[in-house]
Amino acid sequence: MHDSVQEITKTRRFLKERLQRDYTTVRGYESERNNVRQLLQRTAEMGESNSLLLIGPRGAGKTTLINAVLTDLLENKSFVDNTLIVHLDGNLHTDDRIALKSITVQMRLENAADGKVFGSFAENLAFLLQCLKAGDKKSKSVVFVLEEFDLFCTHHNQTLLYNLFDVSQSAQAPICVLGVTCRLDVIELLEKRVKSRFSHRQVFLFPSANKFEEYVSLFQHLISIPSSTELQADADRIDSLQLFKSEAFTFQRNHFDGVEYNFNSKHVENWNRNIGKVIKTPAAQKTLQMLYDFDISEAFLKTFIFRVVAQLKADAPHITVEQLTALGAQYECDDKVELLCGLSVLELCLLIAIKHHSSIYDRDPFNFEIIFARFSKFAKVSSTMQGVERAIVLKAFEHLRIVELIMPLSSIGLGKVQKEFEMHKMALTYGQIQQAVQRYQALPTEVAQWAQSSLI
Amino acid sequence: TRLAEGTPRRSIHLSNIVEQRIFNDNEIISTPKRTRSKLTDEVVDADYTPKKSIQKTPTRARRSSTTKQPSVTKQKEQAPLTPSQKLKKIRSGELSPSMVQREQPVDDRRKSQLQLAREQLHVSVVPKSLPCREKEFDNIYSFLEGKIQDQCGGCMYVSGVPGTGKTATVTGVIRTLQHLVEKDELPAFDFLEINGMRLTEPRQAYVQIYKQLTGKTVSWEHAHTLLEKRFTTPAPRRVTTVLLVDELDILCNRRQDVVYNLLDWPTKSAARLVVVTIANTMDLPERLLMGKVTSRLGLTRLTFQPYTHKQLQEIVTARLAGSEAFKGEAVQLVARKVAAVSGDARRALDICRRATEIADTADAQPGGIKCVTMLHVQQALAEMIASAKVQAIKNCSRLEQIFLQAVAAEVTRTGVEETTFMGVYTQIETIAAFMGVTLPAPGRALHLCSKLGAERLIISEHSRHDLYQKILLNVSADDIHYALRVEAN
Repeated sequence: MHDSVQEITKTRRFLKERLQRDYTTVRGYESERNNVRQLLQRTAEMGESNSLLLIGPRGAGKTTLINAVLTDLLENKSFVDNTLIVHLDGNLHTDDRIALKSITVQMRLENAADGKVFGSFAENLAFLLQCLKAGDKKSKSVVFVLEEFDLFCTHHNQTLLYNLFDVSQSAQAPICVLGVTCRLDVIELLEKRVKSRFSHRQVFLFPSANKFEEYVSLFQHLISIPSSTELQADADRIDSLQLFKSEAFTFQRNHFDGVEYNFNSKHVENWNRNIGKVIKTPAAQKTLQMLYDFDISEAFLKTFIFRVVAQLKADAPHITVEQLTALGAQYECDDKVELLCGLSVLELCLLIAIKHHSSIYDRDPFNFEIIFARFSKFAKVSSTMQGVERAIVLKAFEHLRIVELIMPLSSIGLGKVQKEFEMHKMALTYGQIQQAVQRYQALPTEVAQWAQSSLI
Repeated sequence: TRLAEGTPRRSIHLSNIVEQRIFNDNEIISTPKRTRSKLTDEVVDADYTPKKSIQKTPTRARRSSTTKQPSVTKQKEQAPLTPSQKLKKIRSGELSPSMVQREQPVDDRRKSQLQLAREQLHVSVVPKSLPCREKEFDNIYSFLEGKIQDQCGGCMYVSGVPGTGKTATVTGVIRTLQHLVEKDELPAFDFLEINGMRLTEPRQAYVQIYKQLTGKTVSWEHAHTLLEKRFTTPAPRRVTTVLLVDELDILCNRRQDVVYNLLDWPTKSAARLVVVTIANTMDLPERLLMGKVTSRLGLTRLTFQPYTHKQLQEIVTARLAGSEAFKGEAVQLVARKVAAVSGDARRALDICRRATEIADTADAQPGGIKCVTMLHVQQALAEMIASAKVQAIKNCSRLEQIFLQAVAAEVTRTGVEETTFMGVYTQIETIAAFMGVTLPAPGRALHLCSKLGAERLIISEHSRHDLYQKILLNVSADDIHYALRVEAN
């Protein structure tokens, strides 16, 4: 008994770690991967200068692809010895000044010492360009990886991009500029002269799991336990990561390492058989189809699987169809309706009044006075809402505004207009209010009836 | 107190001096200590003048090592430069920047024909004589040669779209002239070169010019006064200076003082400065520059036309020079396609290079020799020119496709390009009901919206506007219909 508990804990940890920390395994994208790999290899070995843009939607595995290619390449010594890797991120390096300092540090130029760079921005740029100019085919190749490439296009004059692309197009030190972005039209952001210097190689990464069967098999692959030989092969691949000499790629320190886990072969067989069985059921297929219809990216599927795996317990050692359906239903439900169900009856009454106003006047804006008048008409004849004071209704109105179920028309008129008279619009569809009225716990019948018709 | 016990007397003196000087700079040591050590300082100071560089070492580790080692002068010579010393050397131009050398040099032998062709086609391999730019070459050559021979100053403005060989031609002319100087057929001249895009701000132009003259880096104010002095005061035996200013439009700021100065110095008789300016737009002087600057720029202008398909073909075949890696019609296809879009030589060369790569990875033909054919070029063209929007739409998830359809439907319904999320959501309700798909809640539809917005298939506002955010379609509605209909079949 105790053994099986341990086995479950181990399985859960293994699956979670593989979902979260496996930074280098990429599935599919064979030709794209070869393309990038050959480009980097030629830069390293033949001293060719190149530039490339990696474009694909969010969650398509762009960074993972680069990590995987680098992991592959690190196995041959000629790459490791002859290249420097410089990693820049558009979110971190928000202007050329910061980016340049980071480049200087990562290339270990003479004006940098222990991560500190000396001299002004202009001096740094001049020095970097001089260094690259002094280099030739005998000097090391530098691979620049620019993540969130589109943010580098917003820098002043695009100085950094111009200079990097210019170096790659002139007889200087061999460099490779590798931009990564999710914007399809990123080339149109470049200035004309920068665009002319860019080599127009674009590699598009679209999730190749374009068929539902592939998606299901990916799900099965991600949630089943591999055999120990497969684990060993993965671990060998990861070992080469230790050769990384760039401080920017720190993922090897915390990389998933499957070798630590050795599973009972009987347990593995059991587990995988159960997964296969669960996936074949129509309910599981339906849940997966729902996820697939919404988002085909692997990242989205991984978050779903993580939630499934997190539910593994000693007394529930197997993944069941019911769990999958319940979690799938969580993705489908509407958070705003949940929020509505948590409101008080008074606030719901105000929303119903707003809905009536909106449907009569075709979504015209409203203010507190209009809504209060409509509410008072109802409150007078209702038996539950008779004694409510104006101040309390105003407070409820303000609460609706704070949770952003109603939004002010413009943020400018805040100080000028009294708060009772400020115009608002409703951030809900009628369907959402209707659902909330149906699902509300212990709603007075009067209110439910009022919600059906605006006539009192 | 800081010193180790039992060290020889002499070294105590030494380290005292060292410490005292260090802390004098940083003002850490309390005053009584300083006065005490000052006494010893005066006694021994005469012997220890060369310790200047050691004062600059503010690290604790270095200090303790000096106390241990009796001979300080010896250690100073061996010690590597501290960063600030290095910076000083870099500023004075004594330390030349260098790159890390690779461990294995590139092996030039055993390269296939395709690899050789690929190297020849790289944009960085500028040929000695540029094909199809002979007229422009002659024009610039006669201008510069005349100015150097006559020993007067002048300006020239060269324009043209990127990739038409402006900079390559000008540097080619300069190289020819320098060659003539070596053969004593022309008076000697200096050549300076600045690029607007390589400067962080326009005023750094002074710094770069001064640096190329003397090798020293100074502040721009200082550089400005020094250059002003150099160019305005007459000096016998001054040689002509040729200054090439690339990307002139970046040097234009609101005050235009930098451009004015660069173009004003040639008018001074003492300067003997010839300025060649390069920019993209033909009417830059009239459009951007002030009247007095335009007037100084003069009317000696030259425009580089984009390459025609014949010229592009000639350029590529000149690069290949007898190699049989390319089929004739393949080059022609590249030339015609590029000439129709931009006439950019860089683009043509890049596409050819990509074609060699594709041919390299493709299976060898029955003949055994790898050669770039039309098919390879076509694939390269498709990769580098074609847009991937249709591909992106095809690879969207089902609900994303429905969202795009809904935006297109709302545009047709309202007749305006700009739609709001609420209208789009109503359309989604309709389409989902029609297609039998479960309707996504508005929150999830907003998620779809921001996802499509990140890819730039649509342009959307921030999601805090919720139902009222405005949505624009960034692809044409025809693309959507095409992508989705083809998929259905």
